[in-house]
Amino acid sequence: MSPHPTLLNSCAWAATAAEARYRIDAVPQIPRASRVIAMDKKAAILIAELARLPWNSTHFLTYSGSAEPAADGRPADGAPPSASGGQLADILLTTPDGAEVRMSDELADADFVMMIASADGAATAAAAIGDSCTLRGIMTAGMIFGEESEMKSAIAALRPNARVLLISKDQHDAAEILSTIGG
Amino acid sequence: MLRQDANELLTQTGPGTPMGDLFRQYWIPAMLADELPENGSPPVRVKLLCERMIAFRDSRGRYGLIDEFCAHRGASLWFGNTNERDGEQNPGLRCAYHGWKYDVTGQCIEVPSEPDNSSFCSKVKLTSYPLVKIGDVLWTHMGSRENRPPLPEYEFALVPAEQTYTSKRWQECNWLQALEGGIDSSHVSWLHSDGLLNDPLFKGSKGNDYNLNDMKPFFEVVEADGGLYVGVRRNAENGKYYWRITPWVMPSFTMVPPRGDHPVHGHFWIPIDDENCWAYSFDYLPTRALTTAERQYMKDGLGVHNEYVTGTYRPLQNKDNDYMIDREAQRRGETFSGVKGISMQDASVQESMGPIVDRTKERLVSADSGIIKARRKLLLAATALRESGTVPPGVDPAHQRVRSVSVVLPREDSFLDSCRDAVTATPGVRHTSV
Repeated sequence: MSPHPTLLNSCAWAATAAEARYRIDAVPQIPRASRVIAMDKKAAILIAELARLPWNSTHFLTYSGSAEPAADGRPADGAPPSASGGQLADILLTTPDGAEVRMSDELADADFVMMIASADGAATAAAAIGDSCTLRGIMTAGMIFGEESEMKSAIAALRPNARVLLISKDQHDAAEILSTIGG
Repeated sequence: MLRQDANELLTQTGPGTPMGDLFRQYWIPAMLADELPENGSPPVRVKLLCERMIAFRDSRGRYGLIDEFCAHRGASLWFGNTNERDGEQNPGLRCAYHGWKYDVTGQCIEVPSEPDNSSFCSKVKLTSYPLVKIGDVLWTHMGSRENRPPLPEYEFALVPAEQTYTSKRWQECNWLQALEGGIDSSHVSWLHSDGLLNDPLFKGSKGNDYNLNDMKPFFEVVEADGGLYVGVRRNAENGKYYWRITPWVMPSFTMVPPRGDHPVHGHFWIPIDDENCWAYSFDYLPTRALTTAERQYMKDGLGVHNEYVTGTYRPLQNKDNDYMIDREAQRRGETFSGVKGISMQDASVQESMGPIVDRTKERLVSADSGIIKARRKLLLAATALRESGTVPPGVDPAHQRVRSVSVVLPREDSFLDSCRDAVTATPGVRHTSV
């Protein structure tokens, strides 16, 4: 134990309800730059609904296919090659107003990517997103809606590419998690 | 962050509150059976869900949990007597003030100032709740008799006495921030890192190496009938994953994934009032007795247990003494926070958040998805109960027959699919542990 006497405001007693009113009433809430990516058509319907809610710096996107490498042979934002030394795959994403964008452009200033899947078949896109996020130090999460037993392929696709995976029957979880973490 | 109204809904458990109503759907631990060790044991004050009660065991061995205060003038029945000379024929708890006597149902059975043949006492009944011994715990159900569910079937309480040990401690904060610590597996590699190496109830398992070699685990949260399963995976050899699976059964039961052949442990967090809770901590083994040494370690406060201020359930390390923090031990790397012991490491940081943490000011990350999902399930269950009387998850004893698991699996395997049997409590079957 410390040989020095402990004062009221420097000891654990400062954790009382009365002391709580002296807590600094300011929270550094710079919002995350989030990208929410629907991996299939059903998920696209969900994120279209999500996109109508008020968000900070969140972009809602839908996977639409593979992208050709940029003219210089590298992804558009100049990200380094993949860990395996090969070409980092890029994919095309569609915005809610129908515009097509490259994932590499969208990830340039992102710090969080949430992949949402509701059916099988997300493997290619998930690997591309996961690799790009790993190289850029972007946090990833995956959400899969439906019965776990019916989503095995989607789970297998997202698992290596999402640091956090939520398998849920409740589609409202997407909005809940996104809003709670500051999307 | 959480909205203020949602935080208040989740943290307030008094009578008439939505979360209070939710808790009153379940059988919950009221006290340790050791607190009423024999027939006629002295009465014990019990405060649960913001209600003050008296627990007693009459001279015939029946347990009672009734309103603490005598219906006459409001004196505390804690001063009362359960051990009168005629107790065997006339069991009950007699108020020390004017001698009114109550049975274990709270029914007044004698008002000495009334005539011998008076029926007045039949018109006096204190609120009472059932008190049932299962395992080391006395359980109560504080809801209506009509909605009383079957008795609880948590495995730690059902195994033979020589296979289980339960302790409790007073935690000076709201129940929810204590529960959230049980769902949040990501703190273990930091706050409890010393325990994995040194505590005799943890050290020596292969799983500890996986834990300590991979400080950035991946998380998976899967819905269960009674709550959630939170799977945490780390890299193992040969391209496999080491999984630690934590079940949460609503409202406040969690189990810690096991380590090697050590006993399996877990917790219940039960609200005393909105700024205090009981942390029940248990250790058990499904298929063998605890050794003498293991039981002694638990009594000595090791593992998930703790030492006490003599004669109380208040931890010896508490906020009055800054949890006996040892900065030299912290500097030497013997403890990560300077606080000794798993349970007090948890209690110290959780109490430091304040009696009821202001969740409007928190900054959660996606690794907190288990906590976010648990809050949502609690909110939805409390709302559904209030609006349509829906019985919440976790009431059905089938939901309570769960186990925690630690296991190494091929990368492509779903942790829950692969461990369906392992996460189900099956009598006589060994638990799955690495």
